[in-house]
Amino acid sequence: MNWNKEGDLMRILALVSLVLTGLLPVCRAESRTLRVVTTSEDLASIVRAVGGDAVSVASLSSGEQDLHLVEPRPSMVMKLKNADVLVKVGMDIDMWVDALISSARNERIFYGAPGYVDASVGVGLLQTPEGKIDGSMGDIHLYGNPHYWLDPVHGKVMARHIAGVLSTLSPERAALFDDRRKRFDAEIDRKLEEWRERLAPLKGTPLVTYHNSWVYFAARFGFEIVGNIEPKPGIPPTPAHLARLVDVMVARGARVILVDPFFPLQGPRAVSERTGARILVVPSSVGGRPGIKTYFDLFDHIVGQLAGA
Amino acid sequence: MKHMFSFIVCFCLLVPPVVVAETNIMESATPLPGMRGTPLNLPDISVVGVLDGHVSDDKTDSAKDRLELSDVETAFQGYIYPEMRADVFLAIHRHDGEYEAEICEAKASFLHLADGLGGEAGKIHVNFGKLNRIHEHHRPMIDQPLVLTNFFGDHGLVGQGGTLNYLMPLPFFLQFEGGAWRVAGHHPHVSEDVETTQVTDVNGNVVDVAIYEEEPCTEFSLADEVYTGRAKTSFAPTAKSELEIGGSIAQGRGGHYEEHLDKAQVVGADMTFRFWPTAYRRWTFQNEWMHLRREVPVGILHRQGGYSFLQCRLNKYWDVGARFDYADNAFPDKVIERSGSAIVGYHLTETSDLRIQAKRRRVGDDDISEGWVRMTFGIGPHSHELE
Repeated sequence: MNWNKEGDLMRILALVSLVLTGLLPVCRAESRTLRVVTTSEDLASIVRAVGGDAVSVASLSSGEQDLHLVEPRPSMVMKLKNADVLVKVGMDIDMWVDALISSARNERIFYGAPGYVDASVGVGLLQTPEGKIDGSMGDIHLYGNPHYWLDPVHGKVMARHIAGVLSTLSPERAALFDDRRKRFDAEIDRKLEEWRERLAPLKGTPLVTYHNSWVYFAARFGFEIVGNIEPKPGIPPTPAHLARLVDVMVARGARVILVDPFFPLQGPRAVSERTGARILVVPSSVGGRPGIKTYFDLFDHIVGQLAGA
Repeated sequence: MKHMFSFIVCFCLLVPPVVVAETNIMESATPLPGMRGTPLNLPDISVVGVLDGHVSDDKTDSAKDRLELSDVETAFQGYIYPEMRADVFLAIHRHDGEYEAEICEAKASFLHLADGLGGEAGKIHVNFGKLNRIHEHHRPMIDQPLVLTNFFGDHGLVGQGGTLNYLMPLPFFLQFEGGAWRVAGHHPHVSEDVETTQVTDVNGNVVDVAIYEEEPCTEFSLADEVYTGRAKTSFAPTAKSELEIGGSIAQGRGGHYEEHLDKAQVVGADMTFRFWPTAYRRWTFQNEWMHLRREVPVGILHRQGGYSFLQCRLNKYWDVGARFDYADNAFPDKVIERSGSAIVGYHLTETSDLRIQAKRRRVGDDDISEGWVRMTFGIGPHSHELE
């Protein structure tokens, strides 16, 4: 074979593509279940609750990861390539998935397609910045605080949104999805009462968190967040900031520091040693600790940790 | 006083303070990168600046002992049609002591031509191997591996043309890509010390003309019509690791074809293994090898080179790494270069970081020590596609 002839290379590439394209009908056997890919385990849990056996669900991240900093990988491209539905948290916390969608070239999940679901739509947001924002404010999110799934009431909004999309894509199972969604809502309402009851004695308790990720949870259950270990979102703590935080905690009587499992403990420990505050390493996502397999398990765990603090 | 009051009111209206609203309802999906411009239909606009410091004990290195702004790259990115986007990167960079403006990349991307099929057209960093496609400020090292410089030139392989890529409908990641390009050759190598001589023109007048003495070329690259191909596959051996394997080919003429009458083919293989033991810690082991086959009138040259790069991201902010380089030059008088580098990086944000690199290089029998410090700062939503 004479490789120096430029046309040969192109002809070989075309031939290989043609032969492999012939495999297309074999490899794309239609599945009866809707293939759903989510960017977080929390969303995957809600999709399972709503879709049941009618869906197969895969999450691109695990609950042990910081959702801001998940690294896109080619194997994720393949999950998206075969997906009927993509459910993302949105609000820029999982921006890494946007490049993956482009690479997967699956028009079913392109922005605006029926299978593209931004779960934040319809959610009541907190800390939405207005006016000009820039890097001086840290890693602030343009559309508001993105940790909205930590309010269980928002779980109902997300479930309704997901059920609507699943019903659109599989109308013959719309009644099933609607029924399961109603049961999910009812379970949220029931558990919400239980969680409120357990946390009622702590209402108004001042908390410090590592990252600004617990505002929705605090708003729902009546905690007051008086400071963060990070001086600004995404900015590592400095000694001066921690010294100021210690003063604030002493003045406000904050006795608990909530830390997501993936954050370093040096800063919280330094503050804890000077204030006597207890460090609670609490997962903020399903799968963040062994045994936390569902959205309900997550809140059971968080509530249990706080109630026992 | 009345004017002052009016001015203050107007100023306050024009420059609203940053406030954090109580509760808003998210009414529509979060816009994608490329859709962040204002309702005025502006693209996403961003700037990346690179501040470089360089020391070396190489007495012939004209860029040593300097701390200077080496590169400013502006990006304009947005969607121009459903499933079609444009990315334009304009750069002003310092080259041989002068600032030069150039179109770094300007391309239209077709995200979905058919099931699994995409394409790009424009001026593009060609998808060859792992690093050629990545803009310098995005690389996890300051200098370019020797093999890329020796076989593709200082700025890597950049061409004007188009590429089609096809993601195979298989259970695992396998992508083929083929491209056709026109790559600019080198500028004529002429001495800057201009001598003149007197000649008689057609009208019989004696005039001064410059005598340019051609310098021997020291840089090789592919040029003119260049055809490229790449195949890449990937596997996830465990939930926390990824193995990527790729093969690339490029063929065309040499950058000084008129002078050397050479044709060249570069074949490359790459392997990258990444492992994430914890949420932030990541190990990367990346290797590229290339073989150059250069056909000149007097015979065929075979040259090869590669690098091996090991990096550990220690936590959210710090990474450390080491790279070993080996590369032949692309010329008949074979010279082998070897180098070892140690690299430390600190990440402020996704587009802003600090990086330090120390390098010991052996060229033939000469040892050269070099060092760099680089600060890269980004403003705005600067983004690059995946490699």
